[in-house]
Amino acid sequence: MSGVTLVDDLRDDLMGERTSKATATIVVDAHVVKIRNLNHYFGHGDLAKQVLYDINLDLPKGQIVIMTGPSGSGKTTLLSLIGGLRTAQAGSLQVMTQELVGLNKSQLVNIRRNIGFIFQMHNLFESLTASQNVEMAVELFSNWRDKRLKAVEVLTQVGLADRIDYKPKNLSGGQKQRVAIARALVNQPTLILADEPTAALDKKSGRDVVMLMQRLAKEEGRTILMVTHDNRILDVADRIINLIDGRLESDETLDHFVATHDPKSLDRRMFMM
Amino acid sequence: MLPPRYTFLAWFNLTHEPRRLVTALAGVAFAVLLMFIFLGFKNALYDSQIQLIKILNADIVIINSIKDNMFVPEQFALRRLYQARAFAGVESAYPLYTNTADWKNPVTKEIRPLRVLAFNPHDPVLLVPGVLENVEALQLPWTALIDQQARPEVGPITVGMTTELMEQQVQVVGTFSLGTDFAAGNGNVIMSDQNFLRYFARLGPEEDSRTLNTVDVGLIKVTPGTDVVTLVNTLREQLPKDVRVLTKAEFAQQELTYWQENTNIGFVFGLLTSMSFVVGIILVYQILYTDVADHWAEYATLKAMGYSRLHLLGVVIQEAVILAILGFIPGTIVSLGLYELASDTTGLLMQMTPERSFNIFLITLVMCLISGTIAVRKVLTADPAEVFG
Repeated sequence: MSGVTLVDDLRDDLMGERTSKATATIVVDAHVVKIRNLNHYFGHGDLAKQVLYDINLDLPKGQIVIMTGPSGSGKTTLLSLIGGLRTAQAGSLQVMTQELVGLNKSQLVNIRRNIGFIFQMHNLFESLTASQNVEMAVELFSNWRDKRLKAVEVLTQVGLADRIDYKPKNLSGGQKQRVAIARALVNQPTLILADEPTAALDKKSGRDVVMLMQRLAKEEGRTILMVTHDNRILDVADRIINLIDGRLESDETLDHFVATHDPKSLDRRMFMM
Repeated sequence: MLPPRYTFLAWFNLTHEPRRLVTALAGVAFAVLLMFIFLGFKNALYDSQIQLIKILNADIVIINSIKDNMFVPEQFALRRLYQARAFAGVESAYPLYTNTADWKNPVTKEIRPLRVLAFNPHDPVLLVPGVLENVEALQLPWTALIDQQARPEVGPITVGMTTELMEQQVQVVGTFSLGTDFAAGNGNVIMSDQNFLRYFARLGPEEDSRTLNTVDVGLIKVTPGTDVVTLVNTLREQLPKDVRVLTKAEFAQQELTYWQENTNIGFVFGLLTSMSFVVGIILVYQILYTDVADHWAEYATLKAMGYSRLHLLGVVIQEAVILAILGFIPGTIVSLGLYELASDTTGLLMQMTPERSFNIFLITLVMCLISGTIAVRKVLTADPAEVFG
C-alpha cells in the first residue's frame, strides 16, 4: 500500500466515523442477502483471473445455509464479498438492502459492523478475558454503559456463564470458539458468516458449537451462511449450496441433498438426532 | 490507573506477558539512559566551564582585552580597578588572581597542576561555604583551602595536613567545593593574596613571577538600584581599551561560546545522542512490531468486525506512549545514579535539571511515536479478507 492511498484511506476512515451512526439502523428486507449476476476477478488487465461467474443467490431471513465445494472453488471469496471484506466489482450484491458494489473501504467498514463473523480460528486476544473480547464488539456501537451486561448475557447464552472472566489460555478449544461466537452474536447481527468454524475442533466440540449456532439462529431469526467441509454438521442446514470452479452448481434443501447424495459418504447416525 | 471506558487493549497487550514487557521497558530505558549520559556529558563539559564564574560575587567583570577564555594567562593593571571605583554606581572593586601551581600528592608524591584562586580574604570574592568560615585561617602564611571535588589523583584531603605547593610547604586549613573544568583539569586551590605572593613572586628566571599589580579577573559590585548595562557601557567608553568590561552573564557566555566554538564537544555528543535516539527507535520498533505480528489475526479480526484503521492506529500509538512513559522512569533513575558516579569520578558538573529531563522525555516520546508509526503499517495493511480461509 503506497503512502498516498494510506492517507486517503485514513481520511475515508475519518469520514466513516462520522457517518457510522446513520448506517447503524438498517431496514430488514425479507432477503438478507440478494445477489444478482455477481462476477469477481483477481488481478488486473491481462492477468485478471475470474474466480466467480454469474452468481445469483438469495438468503432469506432466518435460514441456515451451508456452502460446500472443493478448495479453490471460490467459497471464501464469495463469503468475504458478502461480508464486505473485499470490494465487490461487477453485478449486484445487496446485504440487508444495502448495495455493496461500488462502496469504498470505509463504507464497507460500516457494513461489517452489522455482520457477525466467525472464523476457523477463534482469533481472540490472549491478553483479554472472554468478557473483554466480547465487550470489544459491543464498543463498536459506543455502547459503554451496558457492555459488560451484554457480554455476560451472551456468554451465558453460549454456556460459558462460569468462564466469563477467564483468559483464552484457560479455555478449551470448543470454549474459545464459543467465545468467538458470542463475540459475533453480541450485537445481534441479522447475518452471520462463518468460515469452517469447526475445523479446529474435535468432533464433539465441533458439533456442540454448530448446534449452538443453530439454536441461536432459530430462536432469534438470524441468517447464517457457513462454509464447511465437515460432513458431520451438514444436518443443521436448511439449505446446502455447492460452488464448483466459481459457479453455483447446486442449491437444494437438506432433504433433497440427503436423497441425492451417496448415503455412504455421510455419517447416517447424525441424522437420527 | 483508572480504567478507560473502552477496553484498554494497548495496556492489556503490553502487560499480558510480563517478561516481554520488562524486556521492552529495559530497551526503552537503555535508550533513555544513553541519551541522558551523552547529553549529560555534553552539558557537564559546558556547565563546568562556567561554574567558577557563576559563584563569583560580582555584577561586572573586568579582564584583559585579549583574555577570551579562562585558559588565557593574561592580566591587566590593578590601577584599572582603582579607576573603576571612581565611577558612580560602583560600590566596590576587588581583584582575583589565578595561576597554575604544582601540587604534590601527599601519599604518592606525584605532582599535579592545580588552579590557584587568590584574593584578599576580606574581599567578598567567593561567598561559598568553606571560604567564609576560613577567612582567619587563610590569613596565616603558607595556608590554602583545597577543592573537595578535585580529581582523586590529588590525593586524600584532610584538613590540617601538610604537603607541597610549588615545592614549598603548604598547610590545608579547610575545603570548599567547586569541581574541574578545562582550565582547572585537576581541581582548585584557594589562598590569600599574600600567600599568592609567597608562592609566585619569586619564581625562577624562566617563569613569569607575579605581583599583586596585575590582576586576572577584576570583580565589581554595583550599588543597589544601579543599571548594570548602562554602567558597563560607561566603563567600556571611559576605561582604556586594554581591558574588556563585561556583565557577569556576558562573561559566562563568552566562556561558553569559546568552548562551543573551539571544541567538538557539541558535535561529538550531539552525534552520540542522535545515534542513541536511532537505536531507541529500532528497539521500540522491534517490540511493537513483534506485538503486531503476533496478533496479526486478532487485529485483522477487529478490522473484519468493523474497527477502522484509525482505531488500530490508536492502539499501537497508545502502546508506544505507554512504553515511552514506563521506560523513561527507570531510565531516569539509573541515569541519576550514573550522573552521581560520573560526577564523583571526573569532578564534572553533571546536572539533571527539570527542563533537561523534560526535553529527554519529549525526545523519548517522539522516539516511541516514530517506532509506532513504522510498526503500525503492518496493522493498517492487514487484510481482513485473509483471515477467512
